[in-house]
Amino acid sequence: MSWEAEIVDGLIDAEIDLVTQLPDGAMGTVLEGIQDADVDTLLVEREESAVAAASGAWVTGERAAVMCQSSGLANAINAIGSLSVPARLPFLALVTRRGNLGEFNIAQVPAGYGLPAMMDEMGVRHTVVSGPGSLRKTVRMAAESAFSTRTPYVIFLNATVTGYGQEAQ
Amino acid sequence: MAADQFACTAAVVEETPDAVVVSNLGVASYVLAEVAPRKRNFYLWGSMGSTTATGVGVAHGTDEQVTVLTGDGSLTMSLGVLSTVATADQSNLTVVCFDNGIYGTTGGQPTTSVDFAAAAEAQGVPATRVEADTAFTAAYADAVDRDGPSLIECTVEPTDPEARPTFDFPHIPRRVCESLTE
Repeated sequence: MSWEAEIVDGLIDAEIDLVTQLPDGAMGTVLEGIQDADVDTLLVEREESAVAAASGAWVTGERAAVMCQSSGLANAINAIGSLSVPARLPFLALVTRRGNLGEFNIAQVPAGYGLPAMMDEMGVRHTVVSGPGSLRKTVRMAAESAFSTRTPYVIFLNATVTGYGQEAQ
Repeated sequence: MAADQFACTAAVVEETPDAVVVSNLGVASYVLAEVAPRKRNFYLWGSMGSTTATGVGVAHGTDEQVTVLTGDGSLTMSLGVLSTVATADQSNLTVVCFDNGIYGTTGGQPTTSVDFAAAAEAQGVPATRVEADTAFTAAYADAVDRDGPSLIECTVEPTDPEARPTFDFPHIPRRVCESLTE
């Protein structure tokens, strides 16, 4: 099973109702799989809105996930820190992480490489996935933990999972 | 000419008593807490610029009316969110932007002048601009009846409410959730 299918199945297992997202070429197949599975998706203008919308959905009993790149999660720091965490509005985040192995663009390094530590500083739990094995289980368990504890949970997907640009070679 | 934010906020609750009202941090939440403290008030204590997107998320999961009360400073910070409002195309979402011309919670510094109604229309969200209480009440009723989202830009006099929502931030969304799911 492809890593993309593992993620889609994990989101279905976790009974995710809504995925808020911005486009990411690496996650295109995942997005198609989500939409084929009739899970609602919402294209937002900025990742801060993806976090806010996912957080807002919780008050209706829905479970939402955010899909974005690591630079986008950096855009959403204040929404996480002054809405989701203090108001205890849970969501699952699937974040393609730039800035580590294979990264060719220095502009992606400070935020991409540093985000796990930033999440630690904010008290947001996360896991960094470097291999595709058991991704389905990881997604399901991360979602269960997020919604059971009313806290956000972030899954970082390293380029060793999602692939990386030929520019690096 | 300017409307009264207290009267307009009261009109929102009177017209749509079952609505979830998502209110921007600061003045919008303080006024709402003063005129209509209720379980379905989703007061924000932070995340300036994210109020409207929070309302979009709420509107996704309920058939109830969802009304966002934001301010000119906050909406200027995330003006592009109106494109998300257009994309989501939710019939139960209304965005009210109270334009008092100042950053009311940070000391009253002047905001830049933005034509919010034009910005909304440019992004695909029908919009109305009002400057009086009666005009607001009529515009809000029209917006709620419309089969799609809309924005009302309402010029208001600056105000300094005394009321505050509970400081127990997690309690606020939990109370909204219980009210919607009970």
